[in-house]
Amino acid sequence: MPKDTRLEDAVMAGEMSVFDFCCEKVEGQMERMKEKNPDLLWTLQIQYDMWHQVRDAHANGKKLVFFGGPVPVDIIVAFDCVPVYLDTIPIRLSPNPVLTGKFIDAAERFVPPTTCGLCKTYLGTLVEDQYGVKADAFVYSTVPCDSSRVVYPNMERMMNVPTFSFDFPFRRDDRGYEYMVNQIERFVTFMEEFTGKKLDWDKMKEAMTNSNNTFELQGKCCDLRKHKPCPLPGRMLVLNGTSNAMACYPEMANLLQQELEVGQMMIELGMGPCPGGEKHRAALLQNMPWSSSGIMDWMEREYDTVAIMDAFGFQHGDIYEDLNNRHDCFKTMGKKMQNNPMIHGAAGPVENYTYLVDKIFSDYEPDVSIFLGHIGCKHTWAVAKIVTDMIQNKYGIPSLYLDIDGIDGRYKSLDEMKGQLSDYFDTVVNK
Amino acid sequence: MDYQKLFNSEISGESVAAWKAQGKKALGVLCCHVPVEILHALDIMPVRLRATGVTETPDGDTWMSTFSCSYARGIVQHWLDGVYKDLDGIVATDGCMMTWRAFDNAKYTDELKDAGKFHMLIGAPRVYGTYKDLGHEFYVEELKDMITALEEFTGKKLTDENLKASIAKYNEARELVQKVYELRKEKHPVISGEDCLKITLAYSDIPVEEYIELLKAFLEDAKNRAPITDKRARLMIIGSALDNPGYLKVIEDKGGLFVHDALCYGSRPFNYTMEVNDGDILGSIADYYLTRLICPRMMDNRERMQRWITDTAKEFGVDGVIYEKMQYCECWGGESMFLEPMLKEAGIPMLAVEREEHLANAGQLAIRAEAFIEMIEKED
Repeated sequence: MPKDTRLEDAVMAGEMSVFDFCCEKVEGQMERMKEKNPDLLWTLQIQYDMWHQVRDAHANGKKLVFFGGPVPVDIIVAFDCVPVYLDTIPIRLSPNPVLTGKFIDAAERFVPPTTCGLCKTYLGTLVEDQYGVKADAFVYSTVPCDSSRVVYPNMERMMNVPTFSFDFPFRRDDRGYEYMVNQIERFVTFMEEFTGKKLDWDKMKEAMTNSNNTFELQGKCCDLRKHKPCPLPGRMLVLNGTSNAMACYPEMANLLQQELEVGQMMIELGMGPCPGGEKHRAALLQNMPWSSSGIMDWMEREYDTVAIMDAFGFQHGDIYEDLNNRHDCFKTMGKKMQNNPMIHGAAGPVENYTYLVDKIFSDYEPDVSIFLGHIGCKHTWAVAKIVTDMIQNKYGIPSLYLDIDGIDGRYKSLDEMKGQLSDYFDTVVNK
Repeated sequence: MDYQKLFNSEISGESVAAWKAQGKKALGVLCCHVPVEILHALDIMPVRLRATGVTETPDGDTWMSTFSCSYARGIVQHWLDGVYKDLDGIVATDGCMMTWRAFDNAKYTDELKDAGKFHMLIGAPRVYGTYKDLGHEFYVEELKDMITALEEFTGKKLTDENLKASIAKYNEARELVQKVYELRKEKHPVISGEDCLKITLAYSDIPVEEYIELLKAFLEDAKNRAPITDKRARLMIIGSALDNPGYLKVIEDKGGLFVHDALCYGSRPFNYTMEVNDGDILGSIADYYLTRLICPRMMDNRERMQRWITDTAKEFGVDGVIYEKMQYCECWGGESMFLEPMLKEAGIPMLAVEREEHLANAGQLAIRAEAFIEMIEKED
């Protein structure tokens, strides 16, 4: 039966906005899942909630705050605004390289082709004017990388809306945390001027409480993956990224609670995602292969290898302690922003990255190491040898370097990836 | 005085060796937000690291991967090849991610060899206009840490007197280079772009005192230099770190004449002199280094930088701008979106070209340059 591409065709023709596409796509997926696999509907609910919240924000009388990089989403939500995490768009579109290709090509009129595909996609969507909604404000940070540092200021000028940018200190130390606290206070002032409201600390506490729930549950889900066999498929790691946008909403905790329950059940049954039983545990040392996350399913089927953890650093989020202590909360918020995945390892001294990877190996005990490297993430490639040398020296595990484009599937096909991984498994892992 | 040393763009190490023979220290510097005045005031010779002359980077590629810019890989290659063997270490800021990773790799490989070198990277804000007080305070504290570490490293104490004297020296150098650039405003300048880049590159590894004397000698002799009359178009070059004068030569051989630039190895370190508040010298240094237009790593100065490029192009009678982008350089990768329309409004065409550190595509560059020059040349 030919695949229904009406939605994709409409986006390609410029007749459908990206957010309308995302909403209609998840609606269709949920309809099909209701019939075929209603027990797994929970995996789609968070996406449904997120996309509809964004698309319908103005109709619901809420302001849209587009954001890039780690920003205090809890504050945005406490001001009753809807946060729009730019990264969610390329991640959602990436399974279809034609769609991301359209926006990437549009962006490459203005930025180099070597710019990260995440940044190119959301810049290109703006160039093509296909968000379908207008941002009321824009907030961004000076991390994670040079790609975002080029794209965000350009988008700021294009959008021409009230904008706030956070300057991230290079190191994570007390001076850096205070620098973040001071900027967060300025951000509160910005939001008060932007919304015409004062920060409601009770709403702030609600957002922080939800955020705490999310990260506690996320930590427990990640702890499940330490079990042998790992009860959850590698694909579940992709869902972790949703917490960047949705951590302070109860819907995110609902998702993670379901994931936790499924994982615990699988542990009780002694089961995992590998049909032949878990033979290998793979650590992915860089980004997620969003454009080809099926590669993790394939590793499970073909080599009984589960991706047990990636180097994003979702394992254990920072938790707010005293919710009535504003300075303490903002200090934690600053730490959370600096420890935000891909910032944790990537945007500071290499020691942060090696520490994170070392912890993955000591906590999760992988026996396979794959630097599945998104080519747009050049500052991680630039220290990959330092990281993989550490793994070899300390754990005796050689790493495979596999270059991919995590967003632009045109760079390397799934078949090419499978070929390279097969060589590695057949000649090194299973020799 | 024979000022020919100004035109030797190779990394010779001769000046470093002479400096160290006096029992002093010399440190590599990456990038433009390390206040060299502080190093100088502690009798440390600052040497801005570059990749000039590198032809292949097998070790740089291994350590930094081929997904890094060839300039940064070239610096790592030079470091590993011992080109900078006489330096006692590196001081860096978090410039672009390529240079800070070059620092990470140089530090790591030094530690593997137990080389006993000094390594320090300080953070510099990337946003300065929006909440200047916060960034200023942060950077001043970082500078204090750097001073403490360097005092321990040298066994010397930094005094206000020495610091002010160093600032005066570097300001003098900046003013002299500004005078060199003023010569290029003439209808028929006496210095080519290639030679001017050699002069500004020489700053990287000559002590500032010597550099000042060489510049004075050059300026004194400038009136004796033959004006360049056979060029067809006045050009300005902007873009990624460019430490290879041969690149400009390829274009100038095709009839273009560079009369200005927005290069961090070119005019940018010299465009502004530092104003000093005697009551807050470190604050003056912080303000200078964070506000001068030197690099798009500062995220809130893009518009100001683009206006400077457009205004300078008009002031120097530029017929066309060449925007060179190193492959894998995002830092300089996004200027065309707003700069090109600004230049277009000013009637100044722009040519964007991609390049690598090693001039491997000279033929292709020459063809494109020649076509561009033909397009923009004006009759006298």
